[in-house]
Amino acid sequence: MSRPGFVLEVDDRTPPLVVHEGEGFRLETFPRGTRVVYPPESLPGIRDADGAIRRALLEPTNSEPLPVLLTAGMRLTIAFDDISLPLPPMVKPDIRQRIIEQVLTMAAAAGVDDVEIISANALHRRLTAAELKDIVGERVFRSFFPQGALYNHDAEDPDGMLFIGETDRGEVVEINKRAAESDLLVYVNVNLVAMDGGHKSVPIGLAGYKSLRHHHNSQTMVNSRSFMDHTKSAMHHSAWRMGKLLADHLKIFTIETTLNNDVFPDSYGFLMKREWEWGVRDQASMLAARRGLAIAPKSVRHNLYQGMRAPYGLTGINAGETEAVHELTVAKVHQQQMVEVQGQSDVLVMGVPYVGPYNVNSTMNPILATCMGLGYYFNSYRGQPVVRKGGAVILYHPVEPDFNQLHHPSYVDFFEEVLSTSTDPAVIEAKFEQQYATDPWYIHLYRTSHAYHGVHPFYMWYWAAHAMDHVGDVVWVGADRKAVERMGFRAASSLQDALEMVSGTVGRSPSITYLHNPPHLIADVR
Amino acid sequence: MMLALELFRSIPRYAAARTLGSRMPGLLVGPMAPVRLVTRDEPPVRHDGWARVRPLLSGICGSDLGVVTGSTSLYFSALVSMPFVPGHEVVGELLDDATDHSGAPLPRGTRVVIDPVLACAARGLAPCPSCASGRTNLCNHVTVGHVSPGLQTGFCRDTGGGWGEQLVAHSSQLHPVPDDLSDERAVLVEPIACAVQLARRAQVPSGGSVLVSGAGAVGLFATLALRELTVAGRITVIAKHGRQADLARSFGATDVASPDEAMRAVRRATRALRVAPAPLPGPAARIVGGAGEMLLGGVDVGVDAVGSTGSLDTVLRSTRAGGRVVLSGMPASADLSPAWFRELEVAGTYASSGDAFEVATGLARLAPLDGVVGGRYPLHRWREALDHAHSAGRLGTVKVCFDVRSRA
Amino acid sequence: MTSPVVHVAKHVLSGALLRGARQDVRTVARGWRWGRRSMVPRSAEPYVPAQTTEPFPTAWARTPVATVVRDGLQRFGLRPLMHSGITPTVRGLDVLDQLVGPVVFVANHTSHLDTPLILCSLPDTWRRKTAVAAAADYFFDTWWRATSSAMVFNTFPIERRSGSMSATPGDLLADGWNVVVFPEGTRSPDGWTRRFKPGAAFLSQTQQVPVVPVGIRGSFAAMPRGRGWPVPGRPAVTVRFGEPLLPLVGEGPREFGARIENAVALLVDEDATTWWDATRRAARGQTPAMSAPDTAQWRRVWDQTRPPVVRTTRRIWR
Repeated sequence: MSRPGFVLEVDDRTPPLVVHEGEGFRLETFPRGTRVVYPPESLPGIRDADGAIRRALLEPTNSEPLPVLLTAGMRLTIAFDDISLPLPPMVKPDIRQRIIEQVLTMAAAAGVDDVEIISANALHRRLTAAELKDIVGERVFRSFFPQGALYNHDAEDPDGMLFIGETDRGEVVEINKRAAESDLLVYVNVNLVAMDGGHKSVPIGLAGYKSLRHHHNSQTMVNSRSFMDHTKSAMHHSAWRMGKLLADHLKIFTIETTLNNDVFPDSYGFLMKREWEWGVRDQASMLAARRGLAIAPKSVRHNLYQGMRAPYGLTGINAGETEAVHELTVAKVHQQQMVEVQGQSDVLVMGVPYVGPYNVNSTMNPILATCMGLGYYFNSYRGQPVVRKGGAVILYHPVEPDFNQLHHPSYVDFFEEVLSTSTDPAVIEAKFEQQYATDPWYIHLYRTSHAYHGVHPFYMWYWAAHAMDHVGDVVWVGADRKAVERMGFRAASSLQDALEMVSGTVGRSPSITYLHNPPHLIADVR
Repeated sequence: MMLALELFRSIPRYAAARTLGSRMPGLLVGPMAPVRLVTRDEPPVRHDGWARVRPLLSGICGSDLGVVTGSTSLYFSALVSMPFVPGHEVVGELLDDATDHSGAPLPRGTRVVIDPVLACAARGLAPCPSCASGRTNLCNHVTVGHVSPGLQTGFCRDTGGGWGEQLVAHSSQLHPVPDDLSDERAVLVEPIACAVQLARRAQVPSGGSVLVSGAGAVGLFATLALRELTVAGRITVIAKHGRQADLARSFGATDVASPDEAMRAVRRATRALRVAPAPLPGPAARIVGGAGEMLLGGVDVGVDAVGSTGSLDTVLRSTRAGGRVVLSGMPASADLSPAWFRELEVAGTYASSGDAFEVATGLARLAPLDGVVGGRYPLHRWREALDHAHSAGRLGTVKVCFDVRSRA
Repeated sequence: MTSPVVHVAKHVLSGALLRGARQDVRTVARGWRWGRRSMVPRSAEPYVPAQTTEPFPTAWARTPVATVVRDGLQRFGLRPLMHSGITPTVRGLDVLDQLVGPVVFVANHTSHLDTPLILCSLPDTWRRKTAVAAAADYFFDTWWRATSSAMVFNTFPIERRSGSMSATPGDLLADGWNVVVFPEGTRSPDGWTRRFKPGAAFLSQTQQVPVVPVGIRGSFAAMPRGRGWPVPGRPAVTVRFGEPLLPLVGEGPREFGARIENAVALLVDEDATTWWDATRRAARGQTPAMSAPDTAQWRRVWDQTRPPVVRTTRRIWR
């Protein structure tokens, strides 16, 4: 039986609580009265995942069964969510592998010859062969990769994109040509958090800069409240308009999956337990982990964390028509992650963990840390933000100015050049976005190397636009002072210092809420 | 008799300078410096056209430090005459009536700045082809005539130099200082004149991008001159220290980057492609070296204003094909492959000629130069002065001067 | 970039490792209340599943090695310690001569002295084979209290709140261990005995072992609830063993329990007066009830703190 999430009120019996901070964690003693939002415990995973997949494909929602849609001689394209999902990457076999294998089995039975499999990475970096293999499995990889039928989406290939049309708001819809010209596009999604899936899959995952700029901009993001709730997110509204247009041109069979909250392997089991329930073993392994991380050189620590694979359980799989499927999916995600929170508070505390969607097998640089904290975690709410307008956010992360040159070349420039000019998303957008989006070197690296697109750091910054617009103060605990200042924030050495620093905004005895995240949670603020 | 700092020939100290110079500069500007404070006779006026000048402020230039720490190329050894009193960035007052370089009379007591180049005119010779064409800084006769060898005042045995209480200068070297120009600004006229020369030699195309590597006095004044005198578009300055970065911006830099960010910043500014060799495993990289990143594309004009291998390397690697690389200050050795492969024009710039001093005086009057002279020392505190000058960048100082009259 | 080995060596040699570890351990020890009961934040209580107490394993305490160690501890540690604090007098041990174990010792309970008193009163052969039922929630709530009491007193945990008896006492009797039970379930607050719970009677019936009643007088006066050491002056305490009782055919645990309670009361009365007087009073049904008279609290305590008069003159009936 998994227990629901709840809001703890810190009292004198409460032990110190775990706060994640990059590649490490600390035990923090919160002031009495602090509210701590705990996500629901992991739902039990489906035992017979393969059976559930088969049922979903044979009895889809608002659609004919998949075998009926597959005919000999057709052009079939399978697109799947890239390595940014799930977080952390899951233990093998990946759920996408299981689904793709069954889809291909059915396609083979129907005599479909022309099949291509595309990683829907939009402007994300290209996946390496090994990463593709981890997702689709050895069998699929061996059958398709050497023939060039399993590949990364390339949004900058002038011959690889097809203009579909414009929405009634004049938004350009342009997606991957192969996908657009297929008789059937099967999209395999992993719906880790509520923002994923639905029409965010095809119209965004297989699109390019021309399409994305309509919803990936500071204006839209400020008006997405939050982007974790697609009914109230301007970004999702735009994607939905595009999706509806696309649905008229292209038959899409959407498969969406939901996962439970098992984000840490057994050896780090204590990180998923509520602290006061830690037994002697949990305490011992926590102490050992703390010391181990302290003594380990940075590279070892990095490899240790990046090598972590989550033993996710499958909680649901739905297939069929995109919108109908997504309703079911979101309900399941909410069941796993939603916690009811009564009212806003003055201060929001969040620990930014080691991995976000854009640094799998890579480094979490300051911009990604900001995106993770002020983007993803801040927006993990429904209704209204957890922190009141003009309140303060306190984040934990080392924010070391380390950049992965292979994956994030434009981030370095963004950090050095753009952020030293301005940190206002709108100003940045007007002054620099075009330059970066069209910079030939970034485009070259995006297409041929494993680099995020030149414009990607801008999107990360827009992701945080709503938070920057909403809160008055942002303080990072334990962060590199210079890096944080460059981004227009402040650094503190401890929670006490941070509270002292924000006391000008929120007073001496503010109400504090700490989101105990990860595992993932959505605060339903009433 | 007068007090002066003298650079003398000392084999052990010179050897020490050569061997330790790069590693332990502190030793060289300190106990091992081939410099001594002496009381000696004032340099006499021997020929017509010469006048006595009493230095008021006298700057410490990078080339002076180079001579002291032995990092100067031996190339110059035949062009100086030992022992000499260094100091060629001088503002002083005339002790005799004289005329200036154009022949206008200058009564004694006039404040003057000195163009240090000792060309044909000063040496009592008929103009060599360079001098005849007005490019006195390129004079071919710097070792002959009735003055001892010495490419400039401050490297010549006979003339004295700024680091002494008196020197002699030829009327061709004299430029009057307007009354409204303070000594602290006037002492910067000579280095700014060099920057003017640099800006002219750079031949920046309209709207062209420029990289200035280095933000010491040379780099900063170069930035100033490039911004004021040329039609340069984006000027990127590589600055190591915080105050340098601020000054570079106030002197007209578009963007400022730290040395390890140099290549990245230039690439962004010029939208070039950046290529880097596949990294070698650690130990191998240390042995082989040299295989660094480079830009395909880059700035139109690159200026090395440091004179170190690293700086010159960066400039050569980040200037576009067919672009121009300007060497300002004494260059160190570097890999010249880019100059060959990218058909770079490598241009030197030495001292100044023509109306550079007049233009520089104008700049010195208008530019935001307050606080640029960040240290004034009496002659007898020369060790402190040299030490300060040696780590000027780190200490947030652009120019260190000897306050020659001071006894404090 | 320093090599990993250098990094680790520096970390260890600079003392950062030790410092950090000490800091962490201190934080955890305080936060998780090491050595005490762990606490659940008030607001989290509704979300904590009902505690399923795992019985603290005590089987190790009855292994031969532990028995030998305990024998030494009791003989050379506990007994001298007890004699330094109080003056115990033991009567009626001869009843044990007629018996072979195992038996259930049932005693009234007013003080922490009671357990060591009974144990040290027993002949060595009996003592070595005797275990004591102790409240799980008091003696077995932390590992160190549980371990030490199991080591020294051979205690094992029983649940006193829930009605069902834990399985252990029966198993112990079956294994041939004598068991000491205080059927009141807790120490008396005023020295007067409270109602006996039927557990001991039930145990005796199911295992078909005799019950040996034990009356203790004066331990409340010597070391009442709340004291950690006997009052000064080596107060006198008496322990009196009575005739063994066996459940009668057709007798329920309740009736048998009442019989045991009377037997203990008789022993206390006998100790205060004489066997003869007590027996006669018992025959008339006038044994002074051990259960507290309905008087003011101070009078009850006053009564019980009067030290027992131990007659040393030789009597015919003893």
